[in-house]
Amino acid sequence: MKELHVKVLENVPVAAGVNRLTFSLPEAVEGLRCGRFVNLSVGDGAHLLRRPIAICEHIESSVTVCYQIKGAGTRSLAERKAGDVLTCVLPLGNGFVLKEEERRVALVGGGVGIFPMISVLKEYGGSGKKFFSYMGFRTRSAVCCEEAIRGGSECAALVTDDGSYGEKMNAVEAFFADYESAKPDVILSCGPLPMLRALKAGLAARGIQTPCYVSLEERMGCGVGACLVCVCSLANGEHARVCKDGPVFSIGEVEL
Amino acid sequence: MADLRVNICGAAFKNPVIAASGTFGFGREFDEIYDIGVLGGISTKGLTLEPRLGNPTPRIAEGYGVILNAVGLQNPGVEAFVREDMPFLRKKGTVIIANVAGRTLDDYAAICARLDGLVDLIELNISCPNVKCGGMAFGIRPESVKEVTRAAKSALAATPLIVKLSPNVESIAVNALAAQEGGADCVSLINTLTGMVIDIERRKPLIANNTGGVSGAGIRPIAVRMVFEVCRAVAIPVIGMGGIACAEDAVEFIMAGASAVQVGTANFTDTLAMPKIIQGLNTWMDAHGVKNLEEIRGCLTLNG
Repeated sequence: MKELHVKVLENVPVAAGVNRLTFSLPEAVEGLRCGRFVNLSVGDGAHLLRRPIAICEHIESSVTVCYQIKGAGTRSLAERKAGDVLTCVLPLGNGFVLKEEERRVALVGGGVGIFPMISVLKEYGGSGKKFFSYMGFRTRSAVCCEEAIRGGSECAALVTDDGSYGEKMNAVEAFFADYESAKPDVILSCGPLPMLRALKAGLAARGIQTPCYVSLEERMGCGVGACLVCVCSLANGEHARVCKDGPVFSIGEVEL
Repeated sequence: MADLRVNICGAAFKNPVIAASGTFGFGREFDEIYDIGVLGGISTKGLTLEPRLGNPTPRIAEGYGVILNAVGLQNPGVEAFVREDMPFLRKKGTVIIANVAGRTLDDYAAICARLDGLVDLIELNISCPNVKCGGMAFGIRPESVKEVTRAAKSALAATPLIVKLSPNVESIAVNALAAQEGGADCVSLINTLTGMVIDIERRKPLIANNTGGVSGAGIRPIAVRMVFEVCRAVAIPVIGMGGIACAEDAVEFIMAGASAVQVGTANFTDTLAMPKIIQGLNTWMDAHGVKNLEEIRGCLTLNG
């Protein structure tokens, strides 16, 4: 984990209300991996908190993240131009790790939760694993990264809540509709809490024991595990830090 | 190289920059980024006798130049701290300040008795505005400030006592005097100002606890004024905090009369904030021909 000054290379819309930001790294950073995140400054001095954003793609010298423009902070972040310098702590969190024997992988993503899923496709592309992707969007204008999703997957369903693109259903419904043919060895998921709850309930209702890992989102303070702002409840009654102990948890170990 | 050393109630700080309670845990995470042994001191996450889970989430929100938090004293309890974190902190060679909280006078006395002689200083959290029972209740009225200070002090034989003052009061100087009368060896201020941010789409407060403690650069002028008032009122040392993000901010507090400063929110904005402030103090003092902190402490002259 490092505190670095990074330079914005690109900060452009990829879908309605979603920007893709690529920044260059001033030095080599170890441990950049799918499912981990960066804590990026907004860069205006008024917003003291950094924005924790999942890594979407990384190469040796640059990192790409995608973020929803939701409040004043991300609106301000969207104004940063190529050449602007931001501060960043990275890489943070535990991330997704696929075991050797997990050959068939289901990815269930909703909204901006699709981006950590794409990081998995990018990282394990060419590893021989088969990916079955189920990505849900609110509406047609929110759909993005279709090429990366379809190109990296054995089978991909892009669906929308309102049916304006693909089938009218959510990612979890698309996943269960295809479950018998995908027969995944492991399920990875990221998306809004109601989506993750539906996934957990659906797995329980069908008696599916397949390992399932979810990446959680929470408002963060320090991002490094010190301030105890971003906690989630565990099934054993204890709290875990989303930033340090997560953001990826086994679906059975967290209360959603 | 300026002399940044400061001695507060017998505790020798290598510099006046202390991590503020609640923003730094017990130091382990930041120690992965830099050697926390460079810090003057660390005020720990607020400790209670028993472990606490704290408030529901979201626990944090933002305003212009400020943040609000309502963590609600989540902590592993004093025994886990003594067992697991004390040995680590001791090895780091920085002053250990245990920040403690309780629901009753007996809680305060018991946790102070447990830590007496183990840590360098104890900081009494009587002003945390987030926990419904305890916290605020002790910190508001001068009578209860004095009472809780006395209860804590009576349980301490070896470790000096800092009382951390709330700004959400009628007169922070009067409360500082009450702490001094209760036996405090030092006061620290300001704790956070109580605030609220509303999510207008949901028509609800953004923080689950509804209100949260406001901190960060935006509150600094309020904190400087209060530190100045308290330094005028009491004879014991004062530790200043509130929105310090750079060396020049720290100098303001020292000129207002503070013996040392604490840095909290700035750790979120820049994980290297404190080492930079220490370095910046050196640079500023050298550039201004200031050899030690005594030369500028309380040096402020008011405009006629």
